Amino acid sequence: MFLALKEIKKEKFRSWLIIIMIVLISYLIFILTSLAIGLARENTDAINSWGVEKITLSSTANVDMRQSFLTKKQAGTLTKNEAYLGETPVVAEAKGHKQQSAFFVGLKANQFIAKNIKLDSGHWVKHSHEVVADDSFKLKGYQLGDKFKLADDKTKFTIVGFTKNAKLNVTPVLYGQLGTWQALRGIAMGPITSVVASKNSQHKATQSGTKTYTRQQIINKLPGYQAQILTFVLMISFLMIISLIIIAVFLYILTMQKLPNYAVLRAQGIPSRVLVSATISQSLILVASGLVIGTILTVITGSVIPAQVPMAFDIPMLAAVGLGILIMALVGSLIPVRTVLKVDPVSVIGG
Amino acid sequence: MSSFAVKNVNQIFGTGTAKVHVLHDVNFEAESGTLSLIMGPSGSGKTTLLTIVGGLLTPTSGTVTVNGVDYNHQSKRQRDALRLDEIGFVLQQYHLLPYLTVADQFTLVDKVKPKGNLSRAQLDEVLQALGIQGLLHKYPGELSSGQQQRVAIARALYPNPTIILADEPTAALDSPRVKVVGELFKNLATEHNKAVVIVTHDSRLMAFADQLYEIRDGVLSKQELNRN
Repeated sequence: MFLALKEIKKEKFRSWLIIIMIVLISYLIFILTSLAIGLARENTDAINSWGVEKITLSSTANVDMRQSFLTKKQAGTLTKNEAYLGETPVVAEAKGHKQQSAFFVGLKANQFIAKNIKLDSGHWVKHSHEVVADDSFKLKGYQLGDKFKLADDKTKFTIVGFTKNAKLNVTPVLYGQLGTWQALRGIAMGPITSVVASKNSQHKATQSGTKTYTRQQIINKLPGYQAQILTFVLMISFLMIISLIIIAVFLYILTMQKLPNYAVLRAQGIPSRVLVSATISQSLILVASGLVIGTILTVITGSVIPAQVPMAFDIPMLAAVGLGILIMALVGSLIPVRTVLKVDPVSVIGG
Repeated sequence: MSSFAVKNVNQIFGTGTAKVHVLHDVNFEAESGTLSLIMGPSGSGKTTLLTIVGGLLTPTSGTVTVNGVDYNHQSKRQRDALRLDEIGFVLQQYHLLPYLTVADQFTLVDKVKPKGNLSRAQLDEVLQALGIQGLLHKYPGELSSGQQQRVAIARALYPNPTIILADEPTAALDSPRVKVVGELFKNLATEHNKAVVIVTHDSRLMAFADQLYEIRDGVLSKQELNRN
């Protein structure tokens, strides 16, 4: 540690160059991770807020709630652990506002999903043409009491409440009555719901023409969800590997320059572990400094970034990513360590 | 009592047609309280002898004992410890760590070997004798080559070794400084009872030697000292 700190203090410019590289990499990784988490949440926030574990769909719906229709017979008998949920895509249209795509989710007020939804303002729907809207409608200029048309329905819908984190597949959700879902779908008879959701993790439908999935299976089949997540995971992984290479190359060059000095120290009986510890400490100090500055920049970015940008700063996840970068630094520093261990003190004697 | 003894040491590098016999049956003893000078032309084997005496190279045959300890029975780690405790190296290329101030060069020794080093007063005495007492807060890059060499000498003396091995310690010094360094080494031998061995081309150091050896083609022979 002594040697590492002294070298960093003396070689300020060189040390800052490495720290700046680490800052840029860690900042990029933190922002990408936050974006990945933010986007993932915008895909799944609504489902996660419902408190469901299992979801029963039509077996022909390809694990897509929008394509599922269950008759009363298929839905079966519900206990207090199950709830109906009807989902359909809609477009909200109002004067003075741009068209807004949304998912209409019809619920029964006395079932557990509706009870799990926490309102930010307003009240739960009491009539067929009332909706509780995701907060993002506020960002588009809508307020409580505002009206808009949905699909071909001639009667306008009124926003009676707002709720946070009601997004499904990066699209805002409008909660309403289950009967309204039937009306929007043009269903006069037959299906009574899209799915039956259960908070019982052991729930399994037995009716023919139905299939039960876990919440995660439903999430994984959301259009584009897996592609987004994989893209981010790949980008973050590549950045991790790039950081490893940069740290290893920098340290290797620095160590090679110091080999004659290290050889003299070895000749003087300074143990290899002192030199190895100096190399590893130097790497960890530089990377930890870069991570701290990268974190500060990320916090600043988080405080000034517009609300429309889907970033979520998940502290445990970002801490894990930071730890990952630190481990990469440790691995990177092991490459020059091999050279340090092999340094031949005889090489500096004589001339 | 002798500080170290080299007995029947042979050193052969390479095999077959590339085989080079660098040292031939070298026998050499350096006693505490004496300054031995080993002189010889380039390629004569004097540096190889120094590395063998310092425990950095294991001879092809023969034994080296330092204060009664045979290198052949020591692990690499034990040899490191022996070098740190008992042997002070002053090298031709002084290679001070460029990012440590002169004071930090001594602090590094304290970190690795907290006990048995020179006291503050003793170090001040050495620094004063070498004329570098005002350079403690300077980095090696801010020093002349002569000043760097004197710092390297002080650095080698700081762990208070019983044996001092010096490889061309006066190569970068002018005559007045050669006299100072020669007197310092002589003083270390006589006043501090150390065994000092200097490998050099510099005949100006002969004035301070107790024993003179010449090495030619790997054969070491004792010479008469002619101080004139």
